[in-house]
Amino acid sequence: MKKLLCKEFKLTACPLTFIFIVFSAMTMIPGYPILIGAFFVCLGILYTFQFAREDNDVLYTALLPVAKNDVVKARYIFVTSIEMISFIISSILTLIRMIFLSNVEVYVNNPLMNANLVYLGSYLIIFALFNLIFVYGFFRTAYYFGKPFLYYSIATFVLVGAMETLHNIPGFEVLNVCNFDRIGLQLSFLLISVCIYVVATFVSMKKSISKFDNIDM
Amino acid sequence: MEYVLKVNRLNKEYSNFKLENVSFSIKQGSIMGFIGRNGAGKTTTLKALMNLVRPSSGEIELLSMSLREHEKEIKQRVGYATGGISYYKRKKLIDIINITKIFYRNWDDEVCRHYLKMFALDKSKKLFELSEGMKVKFNLTIALSHHAELLILDEPTSGLDPVSRDELLEIFLDLAKEGVSILFSTHIISDLDRCADTITYIRKGKILASEKIDEFLENYSLIDLPDKGIISDNQKGKFLGVCLNKNGSTALVRRNDEGFFKEFKKREPDLESIMIHLEKEGF
Repeated sequence: MKKLLCKEFKLTACPLTFIFIVFSAMTMIPGYPILIGAFFVCLGILYTFQFAREDNDVLYTALLPVAKNDVVKARYIFVTSIEMISFIISSILTLIRMIFLSNVEVYVNNPLMNANLVYLGSYLIIFALFNLIFVYGFFRTAYYFGKPFLYYSIATFVLVGAMETLHNIPGFEVLNVCNFDRIGLQLSFLLISVCIYVVATFVSMKKSISKFDNIDM
Repeated sequence: MEYVLKVNRLNKEYSNFKLENVSFSIKQGSIMGFIGRNGAGKTTTLKALMNLVRPSSGEIELLSMSLREHEKEIKQRVGYATGGISYYKRKKLIDIINITKIFYRNWDDEVCRHYLKMFALDKSKKLFELSEGMKVKFNLTIALSHHAELLILDEPTSGLDPVSRDELLEIFLDLAKEGVSILFSTHIISDLDRCADTITYIRKGKILASEKIDEFLENYSLIDLPDKGIISDNQKGKFLGVCLNKNGSTALVRRNDEGFFKEFKKREPDLESIMIHLEKEGF
């Protein structure tokens, strides 16, 4: 698996995938739907899928002395690695905002979502949707990715819209705090999101392996 | 002699095509040509041997191991290359080699350098800078650099100039002397005359013959038919295929049926004429 990962990063990956990780820094932008940053990171990963298809990467990998299901596992590890790098960057920036910048006016009066643990949880759910809808959608054919990305985009924008609406509904303002208020609630949301991410990614990978095993290349 | 490949009753169904009970085997050190017209099922069969296509039923055994159970080990010891497909167009050859070699325990840098030099491949070039023929040579270099015991090559000579084709066929002969077995598909029948000792002929998804070339040729006879008018229905029934040419027409018949055509001029057919006649069918 280590060898396959080396191949994913050195041969398969599109440089834009790494550059787009920079969008994790959107966490710092006030007055902007910052969850879109996670979507842009996924857009960057999409470029790798596009490059890989043009380069016949799946066929090349399947011809190497590796088990067929390792081809799928390696791609999932690559995708989740990019997601985790982005999540870690976003988490650090979120903590900076919560610890040092919680009294800054632009964040206090931010009409859109603030960076807090609820934000980080939502950030992970966007990645979970990507793995469940897009990555699995791709491995159903190991070729087509247009429709899976369209469906993923729709799901993500619905989620972003819902999260941006939710904290404006009376009683749910607590979701948009810019400090450690109601930390129990924030932490619970994050932990549930982590579970959703892990389960969604695991289920997606299992289903992808099953589909990919029956694909004719 | 040990068999390095055994395919037994392989079936694969698509909506408009199917492989039916494909069976053949290759002995160690043998060079087998895999022939058939476009769409006959050659590529599908070769892909099934590398688990790229999942058969509906049948058994595939490579190097005395079941493909389903020992896929990784088999791929360590088998080389596969195909013409017409290139990988990682934006990458330098050396980058592709450096990653590929980490997967093979028997990768030999010296052998790799030898073939790069022989094929005049500049490893600092990017793949998209190569011509189609050079891309084929690069794919072959990869397949030949890890001391594979069996080479499965899908149209390896396509896009190669005559000199390169000849060089490649010489490589095949040298490898066969060392005990390497080769299965390669081709449309260029002269390649088979040059180096193959056995052929497997596939037609519409079914194996028509899988035997030594000499034995295959001995099964058929070519009859010159100057005038169709004097041919009886009984004789027509023996035709396996008829082709028109400027002097009349020729018919392919089984050697056993030659007696039905005593009044006609007969010739020894070559592989190409057998293939063309069989594909033409009726009279």
